[in-house]
Amino acid sequence: MCAHNEERDEQMSPAAVGADLPRRDAEDKLRGRTRYTVDSSRPGMLYAALRRSDVAAGRIVRVDTTQARAMPGVRAIVGAVDAPGLYGVGIADHPLFATGVVRYHGEPIVAVAAETVEQARAAAAAVVVEVEPLEAHLTMAAALAPEARELHPDWRDYEELVEGAQRGGNVAWEATVVRGDADAAFARDDVVIVTSEFTSGRQNQAALEPRACVATYEDGRFVLETSTQVPWAVRNGTARLLGISPSAVRVVVPAVGGGFGGKFEVSSEPFAALLARASGRPVRIVNSRQEEMLTALCRENAEIRIRSAVTRDGEIVAREAVVLMDCGAYGGEQPFLTTMTAHTLFGNYRLGAVRLVSRAVYTNTAPTGAFRACNGTYSTFALERHTDEICAALGLDRLEFRRRNVLGDGDIGSTGQVFDGDVLRPMLDRMVALRESSAVVELPADDGRLRGTGTVVGTWFVFVGPSAATVNINADGSVTLITAGVEIGSGSTVQAIPQIVADTLGVRAEDVVVKAADTDAAGYDAGVGGGRSTVSLGAAGTAAGLDARRKLLDVAADMLEAAPEDLLLADGHVSVVGDPDQRLTIAAVAAHAQDRVGPISGSGSFTGRGSATALPGCAAGHMIDALDIPIFAVHECEVAVDPETGHVEVLAYRVVQDVGRAINPRAIGGQIQGGVVQGLGYALHEEITIGEDGQFRQRGFESYRLPLLRDVVAVQADLYEGAPSYGPLGAKGAGEVPILPVAAAVACAVADATGRRVQRIPLTPPRVLGLLLDDPEGPVELGHMAPQWGDNVLGDVEALVAAAPR
Amino acid sequence: MTIELTVNGETRTVTAAPLTPLAEVLREELYLTGTKQACGEGFCGSCTVLLDDAAAPSCLTPVGMAAGKAVRTIESLAPGMSELSPLQQAMKDADAVQCGMCFPGILMGLTALLARQPEPTEDDVRTALSGHLCRCTGYARIVDAALSVCVPAERGV
Repeated sequence: MCAHNEERDEQMSPAAVGADLPRRDAEDKLRGRTRYTVDSSRPGMLYAALRRSDVAAGRIVRVDTTQARAMPGVRAIVGAVDAPGLYGVGIADHPLFATGVVRYHGEPIVAVAAETVEQARAAAAAVVVEVEPLEAHLTMAAALAPEARELHPDWRDYEELVEGAQRGGNVAWEATVVRGDADAAFARDDVVIVTSEFTSGRQNQAALEPRACVATYEDGRFVLETSTQVPWAVRNGTARLLGISPSAVRVVVPAVGGGFGGKFEVSSEPFAALLARASGRPVRIVNSRQEEMLTALCRENAEIRIRSAVTRDGEIVAREAVVLMDCGAYGGEQPFLTTMTAHTLFGNYRLGAVRLVSRAVYTNTAPTGAFRACNGTYSTFALERHTDEICAALGLDRLEFRRRNVLGDGDIGSTGQVFDGDVLRPMLDRMVALRESSAVVELPADDGRLRGTGTVVGTWFVFVGPSAATVNINADGSVTLITAGVEIGSGSTVQAIPQIVADTLGVRAEDVVVKAADTDAAGYDAGVGGGRSTVSLGAAGTAAGLDARRKLLDVAADMLEAAPEDLLLADGHVSVVGDPDQRLTIAAVAAHAQDRVGPISGSGSFTGRGSATALPGCAAGHMIDALDIPIFAVHECEVAVDPETGHVEVLAYRVVQDVGRAINPRAIGGQIQGGVVQGLGYALHEEITIGEDGQFRQRGFESYRLPLLRDVVAVQADLYEGAPSYGPLGAKGAGEVPILPVAAAVACAVADATGRRVQRIPLTPPRVLGLLLDDPEGPVELGHMAPQWGDNVLGDVEALVAAAPR
Repeated sequence: MTIELTVNGETRTVTAAPLTPLAEVLREELYLTGTKQACGEGFCGSCTVLLDDAAAPSCLTPVGMAAGKAVRTIESLAPGMSELSPLQQAMKDADAVQCGMCFPGILMGLTALLARQPEPTEDDVRTALSGHLCRCTGYARIVDAALSVCVPAERGV
């Protein structure tokens, strides 16, 4: 069943929607009463520890647990033999334990459960592990070198969970976009060709609650209480890895202490599950902060070369790019994320001919994964810096160039999808107005720092995908909403979603009880991420609410002796149109229904409509080739750069964000402030470097520099409403996109301030100082990319070009 | 060994090695799980408790060192289900909370500031907050809410 806007528009209960309603979970969180997974315990519970590899690559010669098993308190030890399956997102290439070979520093080899965590760690350390080292490919350049050892010599045998991509050697996945005749466009004699090269680093999600799980084995099934964004993916992934039926896994999720994408895959749950079964006892596994630093599914590091042919008056007649994304030792999310470059790096602007290749590359490093606005952050950094380099080469005004070229109503995106509505252009005007309305940041005359401003645009999307919901209208007039939605802190399940469902049923948002995620109770859900919760869970909840509403009105129609279509549902009452005295409380109708026809329950579901489509032959290896619900953003950053130290201070930050319709404007404001600050960390000081041993050098918050209060500013935000969206009430996701263009805005501002070519993020003080002085890093050199675009493609370039729409 | 602690005004007897981090004893033995342990290395502030009214990272405080001192945790700010403290109420009213993991430490840090300095300046408040990591909120609302309680507008800075 699908939500119909027409039906919803008939009813008038605007109270819940558009209101800054508070969070129902705030008070317990402020009292310290909220129980996260890390706070959970059970009688008789054991504690788990993992023995991880301390080399980045090698052949496992021997694993001997004899001594460890005899140690005090040890109750179970499990390893590769206990988990025969492989999992992944695009390709099933990832075992639970290193099997035969080790592919990254920190890869699990065995898991131990003991009476105390100290005993478990001691036993894990006592496991004898002999590994014969192999040459480790720690960079994409090394992995792509001619004759480089393959990390996965058996890659041809892996199950492809999604078909259609090119794979081979250390290229885990390759996606291409080809449209028009790029050769001809680049050869035109009236164009200037601008080439830019960029690199970006990894970013650790650093949720304050680490990944954690408490597992029990009950009546032949696994019950996993876990800190995740994706209960259903944990259910199915655990089953795959353990070689059991998915129905034998139940996942329940209490409040989650932050996710940001780091909990978007199955992670430590299968270890706890195996140990619980082996020991017959509840088992808790909690990653230490060091384990989180070494093995989090970081935002991937990336390398980008982008080249455009632009006419003197600023028309982009062709664009090509090569994008390398480091997936680490296993594919994980990256095969999916290669799809995003088409919409991010090749988003924002009208383009003539297009050719783009995006490759996920295996390296002997910890697997990377999803992080808020995955791929979009560095793609937008590269695109917007490239745009400013084009403007510099042609002597064009940066804002005017963007005004002229941003996608508008009826324009065609890189994969040929037709965009609906003028959104970015009016948003640029709103940014100018926001700037003019804000106070100028004054610096002392002798400040001595270099000032600069960056104004950038960004394109993101709603990861529409399947969600299911059940709505019960109880005899006391309250409503219960059952979904597999998880509260990770963004507030969607405690603010926007109950607000939307309340609107459907004419009740107050606080009358809607939201059940915490439980895969035994709620139907499938693709998870909390991709800006999808409010849209997908909200739409499924709306559909379920409308189903329940119809049943309620049928009963009320009998009670009021009126036709169902003459009834109104608002303020907790059913009333007859034109006769306000004729009314009943929802509770009275629901109680009556319970006695006569049974309790009222509605079910609903949602998935993407596929309303946007790419041109045939344009995109290959893509999981999403067109954006059903694009989201746009305009960001502006003002910086002061200290030429003595290289320190960048953010003086002011402004956001104009396309929200479709703001269900809870204040909650969106909180997402914008938080997302921008995460982006400032990414742009400026969250740096991960890898030692020669393949281990990350940053192992805690002492060396991994997260933004602190003194690093940040209060963001000025303007919510842009009215852009098209088929989300409930016209809503779009608002939680992911705030981080999207931050690195772009900062990098463009630093380039503006210094007059130097900014090619790398993060812009740490030494790096910025290097830009200003004799740059020790030198310009970015991507020698492992072939000069000709087609030589970077595994696929048959001639066939791709032949199939491309003109 | 057996250690006697005063926690939130009550005498508690715990069994732990004296070098065990106080945070672990509070969380695992006394089930006072409001105190968080997000890094366990003293860099995030989520484990902040009061020891004789001074803020201390309980992850780096050996439980033996807490014997004889008054330990206060987040659970003491509004004991039982009594009314929220003004600081808690301000955070709630400002819609400052997101995942919530950092708030127990932040609230205890600010409580220590007010105990030490009943009339702090805006800069004092910012300094007190600067050792607390929050990954969700970007701090702005936390600062505004804290200032509204600690530095009332009529008093100024």
